[in-house]
Amino acid sequence: MRSEEVRGQNRAALIFLITGFVLSVIVMTLPLYIFHAGVYTKKSANTFHGDEKYNAVYAETEQIAKEYREKGFDVEIKEDVLTRVNSKGETTSLITFTIEETKGKNLWSFALSSLPSGHLFRFILCCCLLSLICGAFGLAGTADILQRFLPGRQKILRTLSVAFAVLSFLAVPVFAMLSNYTFSRRLSLYRDGHIEEGKGAFFSMLDAFLFDGTAGENIESMLAKLDIHRSGLYWLLLPCFFIMITAAVQIRHGMIKNTLLHMLLYVFVAAVCLVTVYPYFVMLVTGFRSNAETLDMYFLHILPTQWMFRNLTDILSRGVGRYLFNSLLVAGGATAIAMLCGVPAADALARMKFRGKKIFLGFVIVSQMFSPVVLLTGISQLMNTLHLNNTITGLMLINAAFNQAFAIWLLRGTFISISPEMEEAALIDGCGTVRALTKVLIPMAAPGIVTALIFVFINAWNEYTISTVLISTAAKRPITVGITQFSSFNMIEWQYLFAASLLATIPVVILFMFIEKHLTAGLTSGGVKG
Amino acid sequence: MKRKKWEPYLWLLPSIILVAVFVIFPIFIVFKLSFSEISKSGVVGGFIGLRNYSEAVQLPAFKTVMKNTLWWVLSVVGLSTVAGFIIAMVLNQKFKGRKIARSILILPWATSLVIQASVWNYIISYEYGNLNNILLNLGIISKAINWRSSYQIEFVWECFVGIFVTIPFVTFCVLSGLQSIDPSLYEAATVDGAGFWSKLKNVTIPLVRPSLTVSTVLNIIYVFNSFPIVYTMTKGAPANKTDTIITYLYMLSFYERRKGPATALSVIGFLILCVCAGIYMLGVMRKEEE
Repeated sequence: MRSEEVRGQNRAALIFLITGFVLSVIVMTLPLYIFHAGVYTKKSANTFHGDEKYNAVYAETEQIAKEYREKGFDVEIKEDVLTRVNSKGETTSLITFTIEETKGKNLWSFALSSLPSGHLFRFILCCCLLSLICGAFGLAGTADILQRFLPGRQKILRTLSVAFAVLSFLAVPVFAMLSNYTFSRRLSLYRDGHIEEGKGAFFSMLDAFLFDGTAGENIESMLAKLDIHRSGLYWLLLPCFFIMITAAVQIRHGMIKNTLLHMLLYVFVAAVCLVTVYPYFVMLVTGFRSNAETLDMYFLHILPTQWMFRNLTDILSRGVGRYLFNSLLVAGGATAIAMLCGVPAADALARMKFRGKKIFLGFVIVSQMFSPVVLLTGISQLMNTLHLNNTITGLMLINAAFNQAFAIWLLRGTFISISPEMEEAALIDGCGTVRALTKVLIPMAAPGIVTALIFVFINAWNEYTISTVLISTAAKRPITVGITQFSSFNMIEWQYLFAASLLATIPVVILFMFIEKHLTAGLTSGGVKG
Repeated sequence: MKRKKWEPYLWLLPSIILVAVFVIFPIFIVFKLSFSEISKSGVVGGFIGLRNYSEAVQLPAFKTVMKNTLWWVLSVVGLSTVAGFIIAMVLNQKFKGRKIARSILILPWATSLVIQASVWNYIISYEYGNLNNILLNLGIISKAINWRSSYQIEFVWECFVGIFVTIPFVTFCVLSGLQSIDPSLYEAATVDGAGFWSKLKNVTIPLVRPSLTVSTVLNIIYVFNSFPIVYTMTKGAPANKTDTIITYLYMLSFYERRKGPATALSVIGFLILCVCAGIYMLGVMRKEEE
């Protein structure tokens, strides 16, 4: 690439960076909240719209409004008419005049305030300014130099520019959360008397922000008349900062065509990951809440105010330890049985030639279509006959049988992919088939075997339906059934339910991440090869 | 190298016994029960022909349940296949953090369905649900929304959770198909002047079709058989309006103790699955011939 071309690209990127910054500054001057606060009220009884008394009171109110206007307040007059028929059958009326002050607050007023969201906004402001400065200095004097020849200092500055832009982008939703927490939720909860704690400090903070501290004692009544409109325009900061990030990445990596596409890809991946992680996040924060917090409809915070690690000991004392142990037994036993039956079968299917091989393979594939749920009545009947009803052994056998197809499928795929020469050599040396299998094939196919093993284990661990039907004694329940005791019809103890769920989820999730790569390859190759 | 003729069969024997006793035998039991009279306490009587079947078809909820099952399978399998395909295409690109993204996106596959369903149950509840809490805190909504105001909406939520937990399986099946595509094919297509859509239509889709077929057919079976999501979130309420065949036959059999029609429904469900399995087998066979 010629140096003029590099310079041109960098110049374009810098212009974009500045544009993003300017746009975000414009957004910051737009009104964010509009407050309507009553400053004066005049009530007049037995007054009807348009009569003499009305005109007199109206004139009086207007006079006061004028005084306010002269002091530089933006006020308007509102009137409320209340008519009703009294016991004597006469119509009475009450007119209320209110002088309302309208205040628009934009993000700059937050910058000057001591609200929590004000601190955050100053942080956002610093970040986007720093991003701009770092970007500009990162380019200074080196705008026509290719990326790989850049001096180290320049590289660091350009990277910092990206980092600051990303920080300011991420801080916007947090800002939205904090400011809404203050004005939409906390204020209304204090006003409606749902919470009392910390009221004074909160109100004096609002006094300083809204009325420059002039309200003093009257703040409570003034806040009661406060009417708040949120414009939501601050969300426009997100695209502005996104432009800045894109430009900064462009300056850092110097690929004009792909930058935007790449950024969109990141946004997509981040969004999908966020949705995927969301239920686990909920599980985590709810699992450590107190019971009162999980059921409190006025609860404000996203995170628990106090992390209740006691929940863990509570659930252990309510049998969760026993359930986890049962699950371990069922899953471990099922895995052992499935592998003991599956490894020889997979070996035969991968290495030996015999009549009926195709039929058996077809049978293996079809048998994974049979879900235990459709056969529930049949299975419970069978278990009764075998006297395995309500036993952990019964669960092991069922889980092993229904995972047999998958185990054989995965194992055969691995065995086929290993060259048979070593085994043949072992057989010629006089080893029996059993020894050839245990001494040669199994060590070589270890990754594939571990994959199949873990997969069967996880399936058996997560199994729910059969266990609900077969197990009737509480002490024999596996964890998936055990957790349902916390969600009975009349009372759901969410915090225990999710604390137990966490204990049930974390081990298998870790196991699953181990085998993720092998598993997908095994699944499709097995399926396609049949 | 010589092996005895009976040896392979001996090696297959444990597996065959296990599957025969615990998978094949219950099928026969269910078939036999569906033609027998069964009392409420579970005592099996004599042969009564097709009476259980006619009783099952005449159940007031039968039509709704069938319709729900159809919607459930179609929407969950269809939408999760589309979404999984798109996510797989994205994950197949090279970018920083791809490994982390893969590990995160596979999470729902590893989690028990009961747990996923209970979490979503909490998330969307009206009074104290986490979704309302977060949206209120972000200021996106100003008043709590009742996310489950009618049973139709609840059913949509159940489908959503179904899709959510099914996507990883599709994604990773398609992804392994995508990764086996020779990059030179794309280079050749680019030289020929093919755009994104043309490459998608002429290179990507034909080559991942085998993995897509596997995942779709297996998904139809899994989703059809899926029990915990519907059972945990609504238990079919109100009046079986959100039940699928599977949850309905469970309710019939173990709550209402009407084992006769329940086993008849089992057989109907089993036959539907067999048709799917048959189509799958045909596909695999054709693949083998190629």
